[in-house]
Parts: sequence; C-alpha cells; structure tokens
Amino acid sequence: MVLPAFALFAIFVLYPVALTVVASFQEFGLSSERRFFVGLANYAEMAGDPVFWLALRNNVFLLLGSVAVQVGVGTLLAAILDRAIHRFGSVFRTLIFAPMVMSMVAVSLLWSMIYHPVFGMVTKAGDALGLPPSELGILGDPATVNWAILSVACWQYTGFVMVIVFAGMQAIPEDLYQAAKLDGAGPVRSFLAITLPGIRNVVIVAVLLTMIGSFKIFDLIYVLTAGGPGNASDVLGTYIYDTAFTLERMGYASAIAVVLLAIAIGIGLVQLRASRTAGAHG
Amino acid sequence: MTGLARAGAMKPLLYALLGAYSLVVVLPFFWMFAASFKTTREIFADPFGWPDAPSLDNYARAWEQGIGGYFLNSLLVTVATVVLIIGLSGIAAYGFARLKFRGRALLYTLIIAGYAVPIHTVLVPLYEMLDAAGMLDSYAGLVLPYVAFGIPFSIILLYAFLLEFPKELEEAARLDGCNRWQTIRHVVAPLSLPGLSSVAIFSGVFTWNEFLLGLLILSSDGLKTLPVGLVAFQGAYASDWGALMAGVVLATVPLLVLYMVMQKHFVRSLAGLGK
Repeated sequence: MVLPAFALFAIFVLYPVALTVVASFQEFGLSSERRFFVGLANYAEMAGDPVFWLALRNNVFLLLGSVAVQVGVGTLLAAILDRAIHRFGSVFRTLIFAPMVMSMVAVSLLWSMIYHPVFGMVTKAGDALGLPPSELGILGDPATVNWAILSVACWQYTGFVMVIVFAGMQAIPEDLYQAAKLDGAGPVRSFLAITLPGIRNVVIVAVLLTMIGSFKIFDLIYVLTAGGPGNASDVLGTYIYDTAFTLERMGYASAIAVVLLAIAIGIGLVQLRASRTAGAHG
Repeated sequence: MTGLARAGAMKPLLYALLGAYSLVVVLPFFWMFAASFKTTREIFADPFGWPDAPSLDNYARAWEQGIGGYFLNSLLVTVATVVLIIGLSGIAAYGFARLKFRGRALLYTLIIAGYAVPIHTVLVPLYEMLDAAGMLDSYAGLVLPYVAFGIPFSIILLYAFLLEFPKELEEAARLDGCNRWQTIRHVVAPLSLPGLSSVAIFSGVFTWNEFLLGLLILSSDGLKTLPVGLVAFQGAYASDWGALMAGVVLATVPLLVLYMVMQKHFVRSLAGLGK
C-alpha cells in the first residue's frame, strides 16, 4: 500500500538528490554525452566566486529582514487581534491573510507594475513625497532592489505568520490572564509574562518556516529582476538556474545546489524537532 | 481602573494600526483590479484611481492572446495532480498508520526528509531524467514530479489524521463482512474528508501556483500553465499592462474566491505548513 507513493517519491525526489551530489563532482554541459570527474574543483571554484557569495548574502539578507518584519509585525497583529480587538477581527484576518493564496508569479507581475519606473505607484508616491527621482528605477538600482524584493515578500507572508501565531495565542487558557489581572498585571505585563511564553514554540516554527522560505525563494526574483541589475539581486535559486540552463555548467550548478540542499535540510531538521516539542504542548 | 481606562484609550489606536496594515495589503489588490479595466493611456495618466469607464477589452485581449489556453491547462494539470496525490498518499498514509512491515520507520523518515528538499536543488538531474524518458514538454513530465513533491506533506498530514481515527469503526465494518478495500472506501475515506480536503487545498494551491518546474519543462506555448504563460505573455507584450493585469486577475480570482468560500479550510491547511 505504501509502495506506489513511495516509488514515485523515490524516483523524482530521492534519486535526483543523490544524482545532484554525484554531479557536483563532475563537469558537463546541458546535452553533452561525456562527463568529466573534477573532484572538489567545483567547490573550490565556489569558494572564490564573488557571485556565489553575493547570492548567498542576498538569501541571508532576505532571511534576516523576513524574520524581523514578518514575525515581528505578524506577532504584533496577532496580539492585537487576540487580546484587544474582537469586532471585525475575522474581517481583518481574512484580508491580511489573502496575499498568501496568490501565486508568487502573479504577485511579482503585480509588483512589477507597482515599482514601474514611470507610472508605478511607489515611484509616483516617492515623487510626491519629494524623494530624489531615481533614473534607474527602484528595481534597477542596486541600492534599493533588495529592499524592494524584501517588501514584496513581507507583503505576501506576514499574514501567514500572523495566522499561525494567532492560533497559538488562542490556545492559551483564559484563566491565566484572569489570574494575572487579579494580581494587578496590566496588558503589557501579561503579554510579556503569559502570551510570549505561551507562543514560544509556535514562534520558533514560524521563524524556521520563514527561514526555509527565504532560501527557497526563486519566482519573485526571476520575474521581478531576473537577478539584476547585474547580479545585484541574485539568490542561490536564481544563480543555480542560470548556471545550469543559461551558462550550461551543470556540474557547477549541482555543487551550488548541494550547498542549498544542506542548508534546507539543516533548517528542516531543526523544524522537525521544534514542531515535535510544540506538538507535545498541545 | 487606570489600566482599564488606558486600554479603552488604546483601542482606537489599535484599530488604526490594524486598519493601516490592512490598507497596505488591500491597495495592491485594488490597483491590480483597477488596471485590468483601464486603457494603457489611463494606466500611465492615473495609476492610482478607478477608471471612469471600466472596460473588459483587456480581458478579451488577454484571453485571445493565450491566457485562456493557459487557464485551461492549469486547470487540467491541477486536477490531475490533486487526484493522484490524494489517491496515492491516502493509501500510503493508511499503510503507514495500520500496517506493520519491515523498514516502515526508515521509509517514513525518508519521506519526512524529502519534505525539506527544495525543487531547485534537483533541477539538473530531473531535467536529464525527463529528457532521457522523452517526457520533456509533456504533462506526464510535469505532473509526476508535482505528485512526487506533494506526497511528503500529504502523507505526514493524513498519517497524523489516521492515527486519531477510531479503530472501532473499521473493526465494525470488518465484522459486517467488508474486506480492507471496502472498509477504506466506505468507512475510512468518507470520514477522512476533513484531512483529504486539507490535502486537496494545499496541493491544489501549490500546483496552480508552481512556476519553476513548468518554466523548465514546458516549451510549447500550447502546453504552458498560467504562471509560465503569464511570464511569457509579459515578455511578448511588455507594454500591454492592462492585458497583463487582466491575466493576473484571472490567475488570482479562482483561488481568492475559493479562499473566501472555504476560509477555515484554507487557513488550516496552509497554516498546516507549520505543523
């Protein structure tokens, strides 16, 4: 009974993972018959490749920014909805979660209009506020492009974090708050003493999911900037794709993929442990 | 009393905060709809407002220039993927939950590990395998990997669901003379609908929105799914923002409507990512 599903999974997930690891020690082209064993040469090249480090740095930038904004703002919004505001609460939740059901490609196309250098809403709003007009456009300027990408990611996913954290807050028993109130604790005090400890595991899971998301990111950058200007907004995902299918350096692309895979599985393992602990708490 | 008074004074501020953030979320949606009803001239002249004379021309043009076909392709691919995922992972989850067999723990651990594998890390071998099998530029080459990548989460979710499923019901069915398959079909599957619908929503959203693999595998225009087709459309008609936004609306509205109708299910199954 387990076999059909497992066979498909093994053929299209496990086996390609093994092949990627093997290919990372080789050099070959898109349709070349011959493969050359190059040992660790791909990894050595990666260590000295500025674009690889730039792409990795951009992933880390998105990770830190996403964790700060999505988890920070998401938790704040959840706290307001959980303790302070009940009327229209579900309307707010519905609206704020909505971007999550949109495809990343649709989101990217929408925001490529919003960031348009001539008529884009953000560009126009910047002009109206008297900001110096950028000749390159927001997405064409290396100084602003990664912030622009981070903003879109936060627009899409903050509602998702809010919903997870909100569910965690709803699971905290009301008696705890009543008891704190009797002891004279104000809203801020009971947030720090009751809410935060109560949602600790849920927040950890949200942070880990946000981290994985920041390394899996591809569509947004491919559509919005194609990694440009130059390589200024490349991430590991787009760099792998270009290296493999534009430069046709399959071995080198595989070596970068192995690094990304190691990061993803590393975070995944931590997540698994965290969600088991979270599960044990109900 | 002072605490209460303070909380009362805070309330308008908190509403304003929530309202402001909701506005940030909603405005891009508004601009998307507004632009889809505007002429190109209006988009350039007044990007912010609602058009004076909303027109469906953009939709007609977008639909004719390929978006209609992409829409139907996405529908076909999504339905096929979801049906296969539900069938295969439902049966497998039942096997993991009810059968004892050698290697069970190992297989389950591999599946959980597979959940963490991002598609872009296996693009190179996947492309070569599909090329060797003659499955590039075909729906088989797209749907089978989609199903394979959807299986881990679906099995994890359904397995957890089945562990809480009352065994007594199955035993009663067995006593009434049902064999294992009949028990699954008439007892377990109907009662597992909440779990199965979570899997359907999750894998449906994933498939409808997936871009990278489609981009790599589909080269003929007649086969492209919506995300791949929309990006191709943008490349071909770079300045036709109205038609592009009409296409984006067409790609977004089905999921948005489903989400509004089945909100609880949606939130639970997408938030289930966190479990």
